[in-house]
Amino acid sequence: MSREYDRDWDPDLYKKIDKYNSVKNLEQCLQCGKCTGNCPVAAITPSYNPRAIINDILAGSTARILDSDEIWRCMKCGTCYRGCPVDISFTSLILELRFAALESGHGQKYVVPANKFVFRSMEYGINFVPGKRGMERVMKLRSDMGVEPFPKVTPEAIEQFKAIFEQTQTLRYMEKLKTDTEKPLRLSYAEGRIVNE
Amino acid sequence: MNKTKVLTPQERIGKKPDKLFLFRSCTGSIGYPGTESAVREVLIKLGIDVITDPDQTCCSGAVAGYSGYPPEASLAVTARNFAMVEKKYDADTYCFCNGCFVHISHYMHDLQTDPDKMANANAIINQWGYDYKARNNFYHVQELYYLLLDEIRALVVRPLNGLRVGCHYGCAYLLKKYGIVDDHELPTFHEQIITALGGVPVFYKERRSCCGSGAGRGFTHKESVVHPHLVRKLDSAKEEGVQLMTTVCPGCNMALDAEQPVLAAQGYGPYDIPVIDLAQLIGLAIGVDPKILGFTANTVSLQGVLEQVGLGKGA
Ligand code: SF4
Ligand code: SF4
Repeated sequence: MSREYDRDWDPDLYKKIDKYNSVKNLEQCLQCGKCTGNCPVAAITPSYNPRAIINDILAGSTARILDSDEIWRCMKCGTCYRGCPVDISFTSLILELRFAALESGHGQKYVVPANKFVFRSMEYGINFVPGKRGMERVMKLRSDMGVEPFPKVTPEAIEQFKAIFEQTQTLRYMEKLKTDTEKPLRLSYAEGRIVNE
Repeated sequence: MNKTKVLTPQERIGKKPDKLFLFRSCTGSIGYPGTESAVREVLIKLGIDVITDPDQTCCSGAVAGYSGYPPEASLAVTARNFAMVEKKYDADTYCFCNGCFVHISHYMHDLQTDPDKMANANAIINQWGYDYKARNNFYHVQELYYLLLDEIRALVVRPLNGLRVGCHYGCAYLLKKYGIVDDHELPTFHEQIITALGGVPVFYKERRSCCGSGAGRGFTHKESVVHPHLVRKLDSAKEEGVQLMTTVCPGCNMALDAEQPVLAAQGYGPYDIPVIDLAQLIGLAIGVDPKILGFTANTVSLQGVLEQVGLGKGA
């Protein structure tokens, strides 16, 4: 069991986490637990508890949230939001939490694999483009169906797509995320208690 | 905010469009290219003029939804794609991927309600002669199938002969919760479409649950989240004798179809439940050439399904 220190608590945590103002009403949470009761991830991973995550954010525990493995389990299915009596968008909260975690140096390994595809999409204007062998398969499939071998995107559109990622500093943001600079995750919930990983 | 939960498709869309812009999806054109062709062929058979344009790029929402990068790029990409549609075609847009739907709806809403975000996005796209004004509407094609249910029923030439179909709604459309064409907890509009095609809709227990791969978990949490979740889902479909599963999202389609042999190798199942897009099934029933529907992309073979609708070997 890891010890918690005063420095692990921050009364303004929620305001800092909702940086893009996409949740807005977290303080209305009734702690009713419907989100957790309906959550498919909680059903297979009892340590995962959306209600407890909200409670800890409102209480201001940075260590329990940003350094924790739990926030990376959510598959953003939105079942929590759909059942919530006060329409709290927990999926938006998870997005904000992950940005905040990345900013504090945690969890890069959970986004870097998908970002590889984004770097690739700069050449194609579309995402999830496969490697060489996968590409041959796709081209054969599409040709057999009688459509162009690969979905066409104009060179201008590709250039503009890339320019948007450059001009919004997004490419630079992604380049900075490296798994080898990642801080280890410290905490995980287990049966309502905090334990070391 | 409009707090109406369920709208009729007539209230949501209005009358049948003469033309529409079809927003292509990455996975629906690469991993399961039959999805894009099926949607297109079905809409053409319904007498709608379908526009696509190679100036459209990826919606860029998927990886932003994985928290891979902050939202600014996606706001500008959304503004660019839809400014292009406004300028060239002035048509409403329909997408066929739940992922595109949720991300684009979200960014459109942000652009339309936050003047700063709109100004920032337009400042970027102005350099290419675009200016997004949010003049047109945006829908998912599943809403249109529901609006045109009677027309689809009348077009059926290859009835499904009692095929037991389990619908997978996916998450992203219904999680809008308000202003959608069916109840988000207990939707039945896909099942109504299956019945119209001559199939038997199966209400399996985990019908409403996720494919498990959302938010990048398919990349990073296969063993801890995706597989145990899929086992629950596919077990419940198998128990009810589902012969075919339909999706309205190429991402879901990939998770539900391609993971089946992996689960079988771990000792689960075997399930052998083919998974296709709802448009592919509608296309099959209304007589689209099966070659165009691209079933060869599927991991789990559709042979049994094709035989049941009267298409023998080699189809
Ligand atoms: S369902 Fe909503 S109100 Fe209830 S605990 Fe979860 S977030 Fe809070
Ligand atoms: S969105 Fe995340 S927290 Fe909410 S129900 Fe789905 S997996 Fe659980």
